[in-house]
Amino acid sequence: MKPGEVQDAVANGAVVLDMRPPKPFAKEHVPGAVNFQFNRADLAERAEMSLPHDLTYLIHAEPDPIAKVAMGILSKAGFHVEGYLEGGLKQWKAEGLPTEAMPLLTVDELKDALDRYRVVDTRESFEFRFGHIPGSTCLEWTEPWAAMEAIESDKPLALVCGDQVRSAYVASVMQRAKMDAALVFGGMVDWLERGYPVEKSPKKTKAPSP
Amino acid sequence: MIMKQFRFEPLAQASYLIGCPRAKEAVIIDPIDDMGAESYVLEAADLGLTITGVFETHIHADYISCARELAEMNDVPHYLHESAADLVKYGFTSFTDGQVFEIGGVRITTIHTPGHTPEHTSFVITDSARSNEPWCVLTGDALFVGDVGRPDLLLGDQALDVMDEATRAETLYRSVKDKLFALPDHVEVYPCHYGGSTCGGVNMSGKAASTIAFEKRFNLAMRKETPAEFAAFVKETAKPFPDDYARIKSYNLGLISKDQITEAAV
Repeated sequence: MKPGEVQDAVANGAVVLDMRPPKPFAKEHVPGAVNFQFNRADLAERAEMSLPHDLTYLIHAEPDPIAKVAMGILSKAGFHVEGYLEGGLKQWKAEGLPTEAMPLLTVDELKDALDRYRVVDTRESFEFRFGHIPGSTCLEWTEPWAAMEAIESDKPLALVCGDQVRSAYVASVMQRAKMDAALVFGGMVDWLERGYPVEKSPKKTKAPSP
Repeated sequence: MIMKQFRFEPLAQASYLIGCPRAKEAVIIDPIDDMGAESYVLEAADLGLTITGVFETHIHADYISCARELAEMNDVPHYLHESAADLVKYGFTSFTDGQVFEIGGVRITTIHTPGHTPEHTSFVITDSARSNEPWCVLTGDALFVGDVGRPDLLLGDQALDVMDEATRAETLYRSVKDKLFALPDHVEVYPCHYGGSTCGGVNMSGKAASTIAFEKRFNLAMRKETPAEFAAFVKETAKPFPDDYARIKSYNLGLISKDQITEAAV
């Protein structure tokens, strides 16, 4: 689809799935896009675990051949995929359309301002129990669409996972819902590498049933 | 470091992905058209990596390269040794001998290893997450497992061939002996071809990986003590020429279009 067509579809409620890695996504993406990283091996399985079936999706992946393959996989898995953004962000920007960035934090920045954020850990609960940033809340990456109300917060959110793939997905769903969410780049791998403190006691907020 | 060897069995050709799991970036080395530019794009995406460059050890004569297409598809540079500028008819980004490229924590150092072709370069790979010593080397068609690249794929055009067969053989001997064999013994060797490939002689192993130490001891061609003995041995143990090599090389040099490779063969 041409950028203009994508923009029209988005105005009509379609969700752009941006399948690029979190780094380029955070730098710049189609406003409202959800970051859901591509991978042929388990894309269908991950989508089934987390993406709502009642939405219409558009794919943004670069270069285009990835988008075509992703469309095939998701369509086969029963998702309604209307098309993909031809020519990627380069084409989108060439037509003068706006983009959006995602706020990023390094683990050092987070550590220095821990009291200013509510840390949301998007790893699975067993990973969370094994060790997490003190005071953080567990919200498994599979649950963001239904569970967002559970994390109403007066502080900005800082999203964490092992690195930044699952957290970027959850952060993008939150950004889409106009929540103040930053992505902690490098995640627990960087946090542990720095020797920053971890807490092992379970502290899980379960999502309310929809 | 992430390293993936792609083997295209019908031509016994190996191409490579070298990437950094932290930076989430990767480069592709010696991509082959039979696999297709899209297959490299998908392989990198499967690993969550963004392709930031396409490298070639040299201008190939036995298979159609898709480096130009892959670089264009990803909007990234296509890297070749600077001396290729005298040969090819398309734009590329040149590197010099000893140039260093960083892909996150992974370092690629170029070593100009002419002989098989004048622009031929090997890539020494260092993973700074493990050590500052080199870990492996992509030897292209200079050093194979058990053999060396053939120095006789001449197009018959003096401007393109640059050196005659005997000079090329001597140059190759010096490249391997003085440059590749100067690397630490533990360094792993990853060639662009193996087994039945016609780019080397009859002693090529079907195993597409070795080490500098192993090749120093057991590579029959490199056991020869003088460049002249080496040249004679390489000539004696050469395989038949690759099919259509002149036309394939002409395409890879940008002298003819892809259609003309097969048209001319009919």
